[in-house]
Amino acid sequence: MTDALLEAHSLKKHFPVTRGLIRARTVNSIKAVDEVSFIVHEGKTLSLVGESGCGKTTTAKMILLLERPTTGSIHFRGKDLQHLSPAEMKEYRASVQAVFQDPWSSLNPRMRVGSIIAEPLVVNRALTRPAIRERVRELLLQVGLRPEQAELYPHEFSGGQRQRIAIARALSLKPALIVLDEPVSALDVSVRAQIMNLLKDLQQQYGLSYVLIAHNLATVRYMSHRVGVMYLGKIVETAEATELFYHPRHPYTRALISAALRSRPDAQQEEIVLPGEVPSPLNPPSGCSFHPRCSDALPRCSQATPVSREHERGHWVACHFAEKPTASIGSASYAEERP
Amino acid sequence: MSRWGTAKAVEGVSFSVYPGETLGLVGESGCGKSVTCLSILRLVPQPAGKIVGGRILWEGEDLLSKSEVEMRRIRGRCISMILQDPMTSLNPVFSIGDQVAEGIAIHQRLKGKTLWQKTAEVLGQVRIPSPQGRLHDYPHQFSGGMRQRVVGAISIACEPRLLIADEPTTSLDVTIQLQYLTLLKEIQKRSGLAMIFVTHDFGIVAKICDRVAVMYAGKIVEIARVQDLFDRPAHPYTQALLNSIPNLEDQVDRLYSIEGQPPALHGLPLGCAFAPRCSYATSRCNQEYPAEVFLGADHMARCWGVC
Repeated sequence: MTDALLEAHSLKKHFPVTRGLIRARTVNSIKAVDEVSFIVHEGKTLSLVGESGCGKTTTAKMILLLERPTTGSIHFRGKDLQHLSPAEMKEYRASVQAVFQDPWSSLNPRMRVGSIIAEPLVVNRALTRPAIRERVRELLLQVGLRPEQAELYPHEFSGGQRQRIAIARALSLKPALIVLDEPVSALDVSVRAQIMNLLKDLQQQYGLSYVLIAHNLATVRYMSHRVGVMYLGKIVETAEATELFYHPRHPYTRALISAALRSRPDAQQEEIVLPGEVPSPLNPPSGCSFHPRCSDALPRCSQATPVSREHERGHWVACHFAEKPTASIGSASYAEERP
Repeated sequence: MSRWGTAKAVEGVSFSVYPGETLGLVGESGCGKSVTCLSILRLVPQPAGKIVGGRILWEGEDLLSKSEVEMRRIRGRCISMILQDPMTSLNPVFSIGDQVAEGIAIHQRLKGKTLWQKTAEVLGQVRIPSPQGRLHDYPHQFSGGMRQRVVGAISIACEPRLLIADEPTTSLDVTIQLQYLTLLKEIQKRSGLAMIFVTHDFGIVAKICDRVAVMYAGKIVEIARVQDLFDRPAHPYTQALLNSIPNLEDQVDRLYSIEGQPPALHGLPLGCAFAPRCSYATSRCNQEYPAEVFLGADHMARCWGVC
């Protein structure tokens, strides 16, 4: 296993819910992220999957220092982010970059593409103008655009091309880690593969690490080395991508995989239709937060919160019943439960 | 019409749907799927858009020759529609009950208690728990999946024979999407409803469609039974699209990717619109629009390469 680039340990982010205007008092808190730990390895991709509201974006924001964790720590190259000197902090911000979902809102419509890509360089690096121009040229070529397109505005590009511009901007400071928040879900089906392949090539070329936030499991499977499945602010299962998709152990992971539509009409598929919807994080269920929707749930599940344990090398599961052998994709041995 | 001239959003699109059948309409954004659906109900926004030719036959009668009053009797009762985003298709200031009841009151002339009873019954059909108690709730009190089910309830309230669903699950999470698709299938089985299902997701096509029409730049480039389309895709666009989608079943190192971008609809090339991105394109493809080629009773492709 390669070295750890970034380690998150017991991250928690609670948003206070307040009542009253003048003397606002905290009546409750939303546990957006609750005790989340993970490691991003050098040159690898860690994906966080889950449904909306499961805390994957909040986790990404904490990595990007856009949110401060309530408790818990993030170590980057062995150093705790909370104890960085201002200079080190600046360096951290340069080495961790982001690409967002919607390239229509993440690029300033009033700036030329050249300036958009150059902005991080202007802010962070003391470079001469010709040097910046040269770097922008180089970046545009790297992401498959033409250098003369630096003079154009974002509206002159299609979605896929805009995402390439966003990627060029993220690459400009030669980062070690890029947080990809749903990088292809806003794009047309026929250009998604282009962008995914570009990201993979860049990773190989520069040894980049990615944290990929996505809800499409097929995308995750294609892009990632390790996968963390999140449910209501917790990581319920983490494993190497192949291991996770072949031997999912947590009932939620199995339901998620079974709900992901197969690519062919004749593909064998176990069908687990989960009853109900994701509960509100304001008032999460007691014990295992998945128990009200879980078909295997026993009384114990509503009382004790399962602890994440390593069942096989690198395969962590937070479920009381994860020990039993489980079904993989294609088999129908898992009992179907209907609402 | 726009300041670039006329954009031919949909051109020469022909297909038919039979009772109890689901026809998938697949394609990328801007390929004309939604305009096709809106045309069927004659809801294309005017004067921006205009249906300039063709026929829409509903049980033998041409919908394009109907008056606006006659169309109103058809919309909702015979043909109804589910739109993509339940947030924008439900009115936030009317209760769920009011919105579901509206169509029933107009088309079935029900009033008072019977109307509310029928409304609750319809909500029950789409699995809204304790529908009686939720009639007076407002859209914001429902979750995304529930809202989309309410929209479903509105569209099936008058027992239409054709349901047009325009990407109804794009805003839903995967587990909720599966719930919703299963529900639509059940309703279809029970009532023999015909469906036109617009989507860009081949996973959904594989799951619920009987036949599929693949659209590109305003035209249907291939139409086939689902199994045929996945087994023997004839059009290079369909082939490329199917190859470029990652799947869960097997690990691939590199996806096939279609280079270039979908074309703009104004000033489309003379020949096949896919030719600039097609790896098999010949000079003929750039000059002449390909004719329909039938590869079987139910399988049509528009490509010079397959003749």
